[in-house]
Formats: sequence, C-alpha cells, structure tokens
Amino acid sequence: MARVTLQNVAKSFGGDRGPWAVQDFSLDIADGELVVFVGPSGCGKSTTLRMLAGLDDVTSGKILIDGRDVTALPPKDRNIAMVFQNYALYPQKTVFENMAFGLRVRRTPQHEIDRRVRSAASSLGLEALLERKPRQLSGGQMQRVALGRALVRDPDVFLLDEPLSNLDAKLRVRTREEIATLHARLGATMIFVTHDQVEAMTLGDRIVIMRDGFIQQAGSPLDLYDRPANAFVATFIGSPEMNLIDGGLMRDGGALVMRSGGLSVNLPAQSFSGAERDVTLGIRPEHIERAETSTAFELVVGLVEQIGAQTYVLGKIDGNKIRAVFARDDALRAGDRIFVNLSQEKLHLFSRESGKTLRRTSTKGENGNGRELHGQAQLRRAELQG
Amino acid sequence: MRQDWRIIGLFIGGVLVLGTIVGGPLLYSIKLSFYTAASFIDPPQWVGLGNYVKVLSEPLFWGSLLNGVTIAISAIVLQVVLGVTIALVLNRQFVGQTVVRALSIVPYFLPTVVACLITQWILDPNYGLLKSVFASFGYGMFDWGGNSTSAKATIVLVSVWIWTPFVVTCVLAGLQSIPGQLYEAARVDGAGVMKQFWHVTLPGLRSVLIVVILLRGIWMFNKFDVIWLLTKGGPLNETETLPTLAYRKAFLEFDLGGGAAVATISFLMLASIILIYLRVFPIDEAKQGR
Repeated sequence: MARVTLQNVAKSFGGDRGPWAVQDFSLDIADGELVVFVGPSGCGKSTTLRMLAGLDDVTSGKILIDGRDVTALPPKDRNIAMVFQNYALYPQKTVFENMAFGLRVRRTPQHEIDRRVRSAASSLGLEALLERKPRQLSGGQMQRVALGRALVRDPDVFLLDEPLSNLDAKLRVRTREEIATLHARLGATMIFVTHDQVEAMTLGDRIVIMRDGFIQQAGSPLDLYDRPANAFVATFIGSPEMNLIDGGLMRDGGALVMRSGGLSVNLPAQSFSGAERDVTLGIRPEHIERAETSTAFELVVGLVEQIGAQTYVLGKIDGNKIRAVFARDDALRAGDRIFVNLSQEKLHLFSRESGKTLRRTSTKGENGNGRELHGQAQLRRAELQG
Repeated sequence: MRQDWRIIGLFIGGVLVLGTIVGGPLLYSIKLSFYTAASFIDPPQWVGLGNYVKVLSEPLFWGSLLNGVTIAISAIVLQVVLGVTIALVLNRQFVGQTVVRALSIVPYFLPTVVACLITQWILDPNYGLLKSVFASFGYGMFDWGGNSTSAKATIVLVSVWIWTPFVVTCVLAGLQSIPGQLYEAARVDGAGVMKQFWHVTLPGLRSVLIVVILLRGIWMFNKFDVIWLLTKGGPLNETETLPTLAYRKAFLEFDLGGGAAVATISFLMLASIILIYLRVFPIDEAKQGR
C-alpha cells in the first residue's frame, strides 16, 4: 500500500513538439484511496495509467510511489500490478500458473506461491478453475483471474485499465461490486481507468475527469455532480446528461434573467453576479419538476421512454431541446403539453466563451466578481487539505 | 442445403485430381515395388517381397537413411533457429523495415538450380571464387566435395540459405498475432527479455512452429534437387539419401522395382513419423496441452 504522487506529468508521442497526450498532470493519491480516471477516448487517462505502470515513458514531470521517485524505473521495479482491458492472460498457462507467474519470476518459494495463489483464488471463487486454460474460461472468469494475478503479487498499487469494458452489462455490475468489496477489504491504493461515468461514480473515492490530455476536475463523485467545474464535467457526469441552453444574461431591475429565444429563466437574485453576458444555462433532467400551474414553463413532449421506476421525456421548452426525468407516469404521450419548473437551487451557469462554471455567490462580497475560476491547481490544493 | 450438389461436385473434382496426380503414381510405385523391371516398357515380373529384402539388406540403404535424417535435422534446426532470430529482428520497428523485410525473402525466389550453380561456382576447388580468394592469401583450396562432413554441410547450408526465408515469413506472421498486452503483462509481472521470449513469444509461436517444422521436415526428408545438383550423392555415397537412392536405382541402375521399394519404404517411414508428430504436437489449438 502506498501513496502515489504525480508532479506535472506530461506525455508526448512526438518529442517536445507534441502532439501531447497528457499535459501538466498533477495529483496526489492517498494511501488506500480508489481513484478513477475517467474521460472520453483519447483524453489521456490510459496513457497516464501506463506511465504510472512504467509501460510508457514520461516526457516530463515526476512520478513518486511512497516518496520514491519511480519515473525512470521499469515496471518490474515499481511494485505495481496491472489489470488489462483484454485480461492479457498467458494463453498457454493454466489459471494457477497465470497467477503464479509474477511470483515465479521473483523467485518466491513454492510453498509461498501455493499459499498466495490459493488464497487469492478462494477470495475470487476461482478454486475450481485453477487447472483450466484461459480459453476454457468465460469473460468474467478471465477477468477474475486477471484480478487474482494482481492480488497474489501484494503490490503497492493496483492499476486497472478499463477492466470491465469487455464484460456484458450484468457481469459488469457484479464485477464492479466485487472490485469495490475487494478494495474495502484490502484497503489498497487503486487507480481505475474507465470511460463509463457510472463506473466512475459508483467506484471512486475520488474521480479525475480528463479531456484532451488535461485534468478537467478532480473530486468526490457527488462533488463533481453538484459542483462541476465546467460544462464538460457537467455533461459528462450524470445520466441522462445535463441540459444546456445557450442564452444571454441580463438584469431586469433587481432580478437576474437568462434569455434564450422565447425562453426566459429567472435566476436567484443574488446569484451569478458577474459581467458575463453570453452564458450557458445547465439543468439536470432530474431537476426538472412537474408543476400544476400555468405560470411554469410549458414542455412539449416529443419522446417518452419508460424505464420502469422513472419516465424519461425528450421534449422542447420554447424551442429548446430538453431532457427530463420524472417519477413514473404511464399516461404521458408524445405531443402532450405539460408544465414544469426548473429547480432554482439546481441551476448551473457556464461561461459560453470558456465553458467554465460561473459560481454562485454564496456570501455576498466574498468574491469580487462573484466568479470563481476553477484552476486545477487551486482545486487540487483544496482537496488535499480536505 | 441448396448448394449441396456444388460442394459434392467440388469435392469429387478435388478427389479426382488428387487421385490422378498423387494417388495414381503412388499406387503404381507401390505395385512396381513387388515386381522386377529394367524399364517402363518391359513387362514386369512378380517377385513378391524380393525387392524389399534386397534393399533392406543393403548397407547403402541404411547409410542413405542416416544421411537423409542427419541432413534434414541439421537443416531444420538451423532454419528454425535462424528463421526465428531473423523474424524477431524484423519484427522490431526500424527505418526501412518494409524494404528489409522484402529483401529478406529474396533467396526464396531463387530457383534451386541457380542457387546450386552459384554455390558450385563459389566452392569449386579448381576455379571457384573462394579458391581465388584463398590463393590471394597464399592458402590452398579445401575440397569441400571430397569430404563427407563438408559435403553434407554444403547441402545443409544451401538448404538453409534458400528456405530460411520461408520460416522467417511464417514466424513473422505468427509474431504479429501475439497480443502486445501479453508482453506488457509480463513486464509488469517482472519478466525480463529472456523470460518474455520464453513465456510469451515461444508459446505464442507454438502453432506456427509445429506447422513449419512439419513442412520443413517433409520437404527436407524428400529433398532431391539440391543434393543431386550439388553432389549427386557423392563422395562415395556419403550424401546419398533415400530419394537420390531411389532415383539412382530406378533410372541409373535400371532397377525400377528396387527404386520403387526404396521410395515406398521412405514414404511409409515419413507417413508414420508425421502421424506420431501430429499426435504429440496437435496443430489444433484446442487440443494443445489439455
């Protein structure tokens, strides 16, 4: 178990001139923490993990494991274990030998190998499969063997590179739960890479969202959900994704109003004070509430999706496409006109120019312009202290 | 099921063609081995197992068998070791990779006759290329063809020269099919270069190597052209193998029955070796190591 620190890590596949896969990546991962790197494909999350593993060189910056600089060390000297997306089991070796290989290479005594492999196998329910070859296993079993191979090594850090992507939906959920249980039991430092925000939300103690090689935001799952640093994070986290409406911000007397075409949304009077005029309003589908009165917004229902507990609606408010999630409503039909309220406290406002969140002014005057730019370094420091 | 007649038609066609060009001569040769005849025109006379008794009691037969096995095994070992090594080098990323890969297969395009004539021209004890080189340093020329070992070595080297590219090509294809993540997993597990080769590369090449060794084995055991062109079985039958012996008997000594008997024995031995080989090393992935 160990603390992992990345200091201004950058990776370019074309020397100093780029293109840069990862830039200015700084993160401190506490001992025993499960951190999830998440982002769309090509965002640099896997590259960062591979640099941590030592499979890819670091172009600049430093990687420390438990204070030890491992930046230039080969994978075998870092005491890390990795689980690959395609399992990467040795096809000619039995399950037992697959798990034992790392120990054999390190000249672990046979009785110790036996003990560790059998204990890992029993905790993963693999005892009956120890003599099988990988091709005789199902995808879920192969993934457990890959986990077991990491377990027996008793590494400082577990690196998991999209380990659930090749499993079917049900198995993915089950294996996800197993990993969470495993993490709770071992208390080991784990870094988990995925492109799936649900996996990130459910697994992570902390989530690092990346795009185009940069960290967009790092924080606890609910922190990212409640206080996204920018429109990208806001839409990436949460499903169905947040509605975004471009518009103009103006003061109408004392009130603050966002206008977009025929739509005008009143914002809490003291909120979002700032000079920004071109803004994007964000509201999560689950924060759109049914209303009785006609003073509310009128939503023209376009498409109704019943998923059982809830009803998803895709419709339009004054020409703006809106997704909404309501409690189950069997009667809702396409073409219906219903009234909704946008939950005032749950509104997000982003600068249209930079995409960054325009913060609410919780206490008046604390922030000069009421706008809190979420510099990554700033945020990180805050989190480390927290 | 509508296309059944087409499949059956193609199958029967294939059987007919194979039967005519392979099965026919094979059966005719087996039949001939029970007769004695001096040519294909004379009416053959039945001698039963006489040819076999005669052939098997000749020391030359056993000598030829030993020569053939020696040459085949040496050539295969060298071809496979060299082939795998070259393929590993060519599998790495380097500037001009495509060109070098293409060049590496050129010897395979050479007609055997050309390769053998070039070898003879280089090695000829009286006016060869090597002789001139040696002479310019004041040394005499070694008569490669006059010594059992060097004559065999020459045959082996020419075979290696011509057919190693075949091994390289097959192994190179095999290397591409090994997932890169296996090497990464091995590196994380702590395996160095040698351990990666032993635990990832070699197992990954298993199927390819089984087929390559099988094919090279069959071809080397039946090799006729290189031996005949280079040594004609000499010196003093030291490079005589079963194929050249069969040819010598049938067409130079006008003993068709004897030649046919040698060919039939050779065929049976090869067939049984292949059967055992395939039992031990099944090509079918699923049966491997179960």
